[in-house]
Amino acid sequence: MRLTPMVLGIGVLLATAVMAPASAEVDEAARAARWANLRSQIFGDRALQDGAGVLTIEAPDRAEDAALVPVKIGIAGELRRDIAQLYFVIDDNPSPLAGRFAFGPAADPSAIAIRVRVDDYTNLHAVAETKDGRLYAVARFIKAAGGCSAPAGKDQALAMQRLGQMKMTMKGSPRLGEPLEAHLLVSHPNNSGMQMDQVTRNYVPADFVRTIRLRYNDRPLLTMESDISISEDPSLTFAFVPSVPSGAIEAAVEDSSNRHFERSWPVKVEPGT
Amino acid sequence: MVEIAPGIYVHAGAPEQANPGNDDAIANIGFIIGDDAVMVIDPGGSAVEGEQLHAAVRAVTGRPIRYVVLTHVHPDHIFGAVAFRADHPEFIGHARLPGALAQRGDYYVKTLSRDLGAAASGSEIVAPTHLVAAEEAIDRGNRVVDIRAHGPAHTDNDLTLFDRRTATLWLSDLLFVERIPVIDGSIVGWIKEIGAMTHVAAQRAVPGHGPAIVDWPAAAEPELRYLNTVLAGTRAAIRQDIDIAEAPRHVALDERDKWLLFDDCHARNVTAAYKELEWE
Repeated sequence: MRLTPMVLGIGVLLATAVMAPASAEVDEAARAARWANLRSQIFGDRALQDGAGVLTIEAPDRAEDAALVPVKIGIAGELRRDIAQLYFVIDDNPSPLAGRFAFGPAADPSAIAIRVRVDDYTNLHAVAETKDGRLYAVARFIKAAGGCSAPAGKDQALAMQRLGQMKMTMKGSPRLGEPLEAHLLVSHPNNSGMQMDQVTRNYVPADFVRTIRLRYNDRPLLTMESDISISEDPSLTFAFVPSVPSGAIEAAVEDSSNRHFERSWPVKVEPGT
Repeated sequence: MVEIAPGIYVHAGAPEQANPGNDDAIANIGFIIGDDAVMVIDPGGSAVEGEQLHAAVRAVTGRPIRYVVLTHVHPDHIFGAVAFRADHPEFIGHARLPGALAQRGDYYVKTLSRDLGAAASGSEIVAPTHLVAAEEAIDRGNRVVDIRAHGPAHTDNDLTLFDRRTATLWLSDLLFVERIPVIDGSIVGWIKEIGAMTHVAAQRAVPGHGPAIVDWPAAAEPELRYLNTVLAGTRAAIRQDIDIAEAPRHVALDERDKWLLFDDCHARNVTAAYKELEWE
């Protein structure tokens, strides 16, 4: 996959940018220039069409907590049928490309919800790529969190102690052929490796979830390639379509330290439905 | 600066978020004078506030400043530490403080500069030189102060202190009065830790935010009520499949008119509680 190294590559390319002093007022022109730079790094010179009407970003106006901002990307109309993958970019984060989501045949690509870190006042971009290679983009501005909020986690010991545990919740009862929303949680500190220890001047080692692969009944459902912009304990809300009376969802998670975690959950359709 | 008990001085912080007009002097900070030495408890939210506190110490005593306690990682409590470096004190912190500083220090330096502008200049992270993992008594000359390191509560690195001579309990941000509590550690842990502290027989307490001095344990009631309301409401939201983005609009809204800065912090408190409780 040519995109895999790019997800991490962007973090490396922009690593120097985050070390520059944050300015309180970044004007529109600077934001536009930053996006122009990012989109050419991610999509080259491919055309981006306006995704208004088929693509939406739901997020609070202000990041309440820099460590955890719930974001939902909605996909509507014909794009639901045509979409192959979705990119989510947090322009002013240290590693802007927060996630790439590839939908498989078992997915219902109507929405994805994740939890992200937001370091600064920034634009958010969602870009959908169709199976025939068209790109649709939408943007939304979000204000930075204030006060003592920080992008790091709140209970470091617990995050390590619970490392790799997973939890899956399904909303409602599975019915054949009807989209079902599910929520996956993976316990992981998701350390960015960009936090400098002010005392030792060393960096806290990077340790984050790199890939979550979901399959339903041995068919690809959704693959999320992610990075340090995802909150501690990565969370992924998605939908799929149960197609057999008794099946299973399998999750395979790989992190930047090459740990692997796997788990599966039965999906039983209620008799008579 | 008020002397709340013999030899204990407190400056009550402004009930505001950090801004260029307040130099991040928003937390309650102060010092205790022993026969041999002075212990500073939280040097303040910026180099400017640290220097003011240093001058306040020198206005009442010439005794050496041997200890500067950093009660937890939050910027409004620690950024003044730089003003005490020349005194070469022990900088005392929780055993988990270095880890929290490593994770957050760099970000806090950037955001302080964003929030205060020029008033942030000179503020920097000072490393603790002496760590407390459980409990420790420090004697500064006929004046013993017991320092207690707590489990995850307000943050995962909270210290509280008890001055034996005056039976004064310095709770720092384990206790918020009037200003809405900020959950940045563990809501379940905080209820447990502050609940345990209500059994401490103290003449008075010093909260991290609110008045310089409050009655103990009566002053814990509003905070405990808020935390328990958020706990119950968030658990109910999780049971009802209300997602994390929606939950702040459903949980503990009857607390709104009871706290300063509710709209600034309540939503993130519910989010933090949700993230913790969804693993139950």
